[in-house]
Amino acid sequence: MKRLIELNINGETCELAVEPSATLAEVIRDQVGLTGTKVACGTGECGTCTVLIDGRPILSCLTLAVDCQKQAILTIEGLSEGETLTPVQQAFHDCGAIQCGFCTPGMVLSTTALLKSNPRPSTPEIQKALEGHLCRCTGYNKILEAVQQAAGAVAPKTKQKT
Amino acid sequence: MATMHLPKFEHLCPTSIEEAAQLLGSYGDNARLVAGGTDLFPRMKQGLTRPEVVISLKGLSIDPPRVSREGDLYINALMPLADIARSPEVQKKAPMLAEAITSVGSNQIRHMGTLGGNICLENRCTYYNQSHSFQFVEPCFKRAGDRCYLIPKGKKCVAVFTADTVPALICLAAKMEIVAAGSSRQLPVEKLYTGNALSPLALSPGEIISEVIIANPRTVQGTAFTKFSLRGGVEFAGLTVAVCLEMANGTGTCSAARITVGAVSAGPVRASKAEKAMAGETLSDKLFQKITEMVAGEIRPVMHHGYSGPFLRECLKVQTYRTLALGAERAGQYRKK
Repeated sequence: MKRLIELNINGETCELAVEPSATLAEVIRDQVGLTGTKVACGTGECGTCTVLIDGRPILSCLTLAVDCQKQAILTIEGLSEGETLTPVQQAFHDCGAIQCGFCTPGMVLSTTALLKSNPRPSTPEIQKALEGHLCRCTGYNKILEAVQQAAGAVAPKTKQKT
Repeated sequence: MATMHLPKFEHLCPTSIEEAAQLLGSYGDNARLVAGGTDLFPRMKQGLTRPEVVISLKGLSIDPPRVSREGDLYINALMPLADIARSPEVQKKAPMLAEAITSVGSNQIRHMGTLGGNICLENRCTYYNQSHSFQFVEPCFKRAGDRCYLIPKGKKCVAVFTADTVPALICLAAKMEIVAAGSSRQLPVEKLYTGNALSPLALSPGEIISEVIIANPRTVQGTAFTKFSLRGGVEFAGLTVAVCLEMANGTGTCSAARITVGAVSAGPVRASKAEKAMAGETLSDKLFQKITEMVAGEIRPVMHHGYSGPFLRECLKVQTYRTLALGAERAGQYRKK
């Protein structure tokens, strides 16, 4: 039987009728309509469905929506203000850390959480924080560069004009 | 593969552990507890288990780890692994537990998964842990069938127990507080495992692990945990070794040792002969080589997840040697050459 719940997604309260078996990823995508959160494996291996709940990166494909009430859920749509990107998003853009873009929402959210708790992470710390994200395009080096740039560890790359 | 959905179930959300235990007791086999959900939900999506009732433990309050006046460490079993690993109390009192936690799953899984959940991790096998549509026609032992696909002439299930924190907890002689409706008991973590892959946990129906207790060490300890896996992240263990060397005060002599190997059989295994041989010995490279051979002699890893038995035996030797050397180095008694 469906249950009425309230979710706080990106600072907005959404009233929803959901099945107890509905995962947070399904509700965010299909009912709320925020499709920035991706779903690939559905079993917690790929990390594309990562969202932040009270600031911690969690897998929304393995979380029940009914368990997320009274918590602050942040999806990729809630990061930027209008067209102004956050430093993490800008760094991913500048470093070419986005190709097909499927892993990017999760990567950006995990990086945001990492830099909040550890503003100057070492390379192994970045690798450990992002180990739960698969990327089949970039080979990870550019993502690593992007996180280092966002952390201010390396000079920003200027945008290449063609 | 199409996105997998969870089968329908009734969702209960108790607000205290006693209430949860009561619900679990009354629903029996039809109910499953869920804390982090990182083990149960993939299994439900793959059709390996279909509980009618899911009892969520997310409504329960969690106290941070605390150290008692006697110096014992108490950790709430519902605490997410990531919080335990960065707790100053745990880093000071049980650094090996923090070390073992860091090797579990991925960052997100450590933020979701709990210590109690890792202790109760279901046994795994290449053939069993697959989506229903990929399964073989006849069910295997773990699916209530009569065959093993891993060892075709096998007479029993050989799914391995792969939880990373458990060998560390056993070496630290950790105990658990187990709550049931109207009662509670304490049990050493080591006694929880039956060694039977079909029912790996010695928990009675309706019992919940509420707390993990690690007693204050009496002597200087050198502890170390190592995990072998191919990718080094988001992977279940190929093999784990945990070592705790208790040192006779102020000397290079090991008064007692505990060596636990994980992911080589249906439960974690203590290398008891090797442990006895270490007691009273001075730590040295020669001793470690002897102990390594003894461990490989008394523990026979079963093949799993693409690793063959002979490979895992060689791997066991390498990992045991490394872990012993690391533990001894941390005990401050030995420098690796």
